[in-house]
Amino acid sequence: MLGIWVGKLIELVLRLAGRRATSLPGKWALRVSPELLAKLGRQLERCIVVTGTNGKTTTTSLLASMMRQEGPIVTNAEGANMRQGLAAALIKHTDWRGRLRAKTAVLEIDEATLPLVASCFPIRVAAVTNVFRDQLDRYGELDSTMQKIMEGLAATEAVLILNGDDPLARRIGLGHPGRVLYFGLDERHLNAQPREQMRDGAFCLECGARLQYEGFFYGQLGVYRCPRGDFFRPHPDFRATIEGATLHLQEPGQPDVGFRLPVRGLFNIYNALCAIAAARVCGLGRGPIQQGLDAFRPPLGRMQVFCTDPESILNLIKNPTGCDSVLQAICHESEPKVVLIAINDLAADGRDVSWLWDADFELLAEAGRVLGVVTTGLRGEDMALRLKYAGYPVERMQVKPDLDEAVETSLSLARQLGDAPVYVLCTYTALYPMAERLQRRVNRYSHETAYRTSVS
Amino acid sequence: MKLRIAHLYPDLLNLYADKGNIRVLTQRCRWRGVDVEVIPVLSGERPRFEEYHLVLLGGGSDREQELVAQTLVKHRSDWRHAAAAGLPVLAVCGGYQLLGHYYQLPNGRKVEGLELLDLVTHAGHPRLTGNIAIDAGETLGTIVGFENHGGRTEHAHEPLGKVLKGHGNNGRDGLEGVRWQNVIGTYIHGPLLPKNPRLADHILRLAMDYAGMPIALQPLEDEWEQAAHDAFLERRLELPRT
Ligand SMILES: [Zn+2]
Repeated sequence: MLGIWVGKLIELVLRLAGRRATSLPGKWALRVSPELLAKLGRQLERCIVVTGTNGKTTTTSLLASMMRQEGPIVTNAEGANMRQGLAAALIKHTDWRGRLRAKTAVLEIDEATLPLVASCFPIRVAAVTNVFRDQLDRYGELDSTMQKIMEGLAATEAVLILNGDDPLARRIGLGHPGRVLYFGLDERHLNAQPREQMRDGAFCLECGARLQYEGFFYGQLGVYRCPRGDFFRPHPDFRATIEGATLHLQEPGQPDVGFRLPVRGLFNIYNALCAIAAARVCGLGRGPIQQGLDAFRPPLGRMQVFCTDPESILNLIKNPTGCDSVLQAICHESEPKVVLIAINDLAADGRDVSWLWDADFELLAEAGRVLGVVTTGLRGEDMALRLKYAGYPVERMQVKPDLDEAVETSLSLARQLGDAPVYVLCTYTALYPMAERLQRRVNRYSHETAYRTSVS
Repeated sequence: MKLRIAHLYPDLLNLYADKGNIRVLTQRCRWRGVDVEVIPVLSGERPRFEEYHLVLLGGGSDREQELVAQTLVKHRSDWRHAAAAGLPVLAVCGGYQLLGHYYQLPNGRKVEGLELLDLVTHAGHPRLTGNIAIDAGETLGTIVGFENHGGRTEHAHEPLGKVLKGHGNNGRDGLEGVRWQNVIGTYIHGPLLPKNPRLADHILRLAMDYAGMPIALQPLEDEWEQAAHDAFLERRLELPRT
């Protein structure tokens, strides 16, 4: 009890001081009462865990948003995913008598923390988003991260939900004693020749042979097979086909259903698919899953979708590396599109816009089916010039220095071009004004629930 | 016949969008049907001046700058012969400083330069940073861009232009850059060439003459270049368009 009081007291103080209490209360509570996690964990009826290398936070928030539709839950927001963060999240949902106010927990847990805490919680479902490593091991030896995930999971009776397109996650599935289900993309989304080819390739974790790929979805994700053995990409239990902002889910023995996603980009699509699969395993139907997706608030400017007419997807760009990954994500979307780019050069943006010439805008000219481009902002003309030299046809470009005019022009151009989505790229000081303008143009009748974003 | 542009030390000097300047030069050749090739010269290599028609020398951080200086001075006499024979050189920022006798660091130590020009640079405080426009005379018109340098440069040659707004060579004498033979040095980047197509074509013309290419440079549609140039002058420098 003392531990919980200490934790709650610190939480209260922090809250009164206007500060966020994501792990400090947990740190002190655990110091006073080291058994706190197990004590509180015992009060839960079920715990759903999300772990993996990338996308844990997005996947956890998506899943939490869905599970919340069915009743109160405990969750650790903002990626506080080690012991202290978990304790803080539980304390927050505990009353002063030490009773948890929810029976379900959706927890993001760090890979290395998982084996330390797995026995504290009734983990019924565990989802692994993916396992990315800098260097894939040629000799079939598992590195310590994978070892830890497998150890942690083996100690539970959880149903495992894994990314079957990821050969490393597949290896975890093969080593797991319990039930394993896989999610994956439909083969129609395979690319034969990815532009960012993996330098080292991926190797079979059973025998060390170089895996053969029928095609790639993204990075090491794809349809793979070991030429020597029977290590291969499993048939997905949850198979997704993407059409614009809609994810069509195929599940054996179930009618196909479509879900409108609040996020774009392949990485986010995998996160959403992982969350949907976990929600399905927890018994959620189409309704609460869609409501959960609708209630999700994506971070500002990270492939953030606005239901304008047609829809627009907002992205922040601020340096060549970040800009390149946004350009790649946009060009990965196979549909025809319009691109709106706002470049400012105020202090927060960086007054020197030289970096526009170091970023790979050639991508927009060469790939990505970009039907038209509108540029705006204090340096909109510089941006247009950059695209001209990237080889983008000038007759398909327009410069509109005024932000409102630029938004109008690109949306009406997109409507003329058969309701193509508008991908919006903004430097920092243009981001908020742009988000505000897009929000104002959100079509209230296109969607039953008002579409909310994180702009306030 | 091919126009051969040497890009010096891309492995050491990758600041300030050399890429942009190269992109502009090569595209403006291709749009006119002029065959062009960019030859990257890495820091371990000896430049083969007899094979180049234009040399680009960019800028880098102080540390990179010293490494480049050490690499450059090894071939000082090659550089002198080539420049005296009329080889066009475009040197920006750090590259500009290295054309002279030395760059004096804040601690008093002098980093030796190429000694192509009668030019010296002393580190100063604060950095001279911001948007800049210069009047570069009838042929080149107004040149615009961004400057960001700690060094104050003085030289005994013709400047590239007179400062209309900004700091220029040293923030004192109202001059910016240098011109000597076919060598052009400047602090202006942003990058330098996209918004200054007249300067870009001037440099290409020098290179093609030097190469002995018999073709005249056809004018291009420069509406977008001009629009960016004018918008920058009006909106960012509050100067009338030129
Ligand atoms: Zn194998």
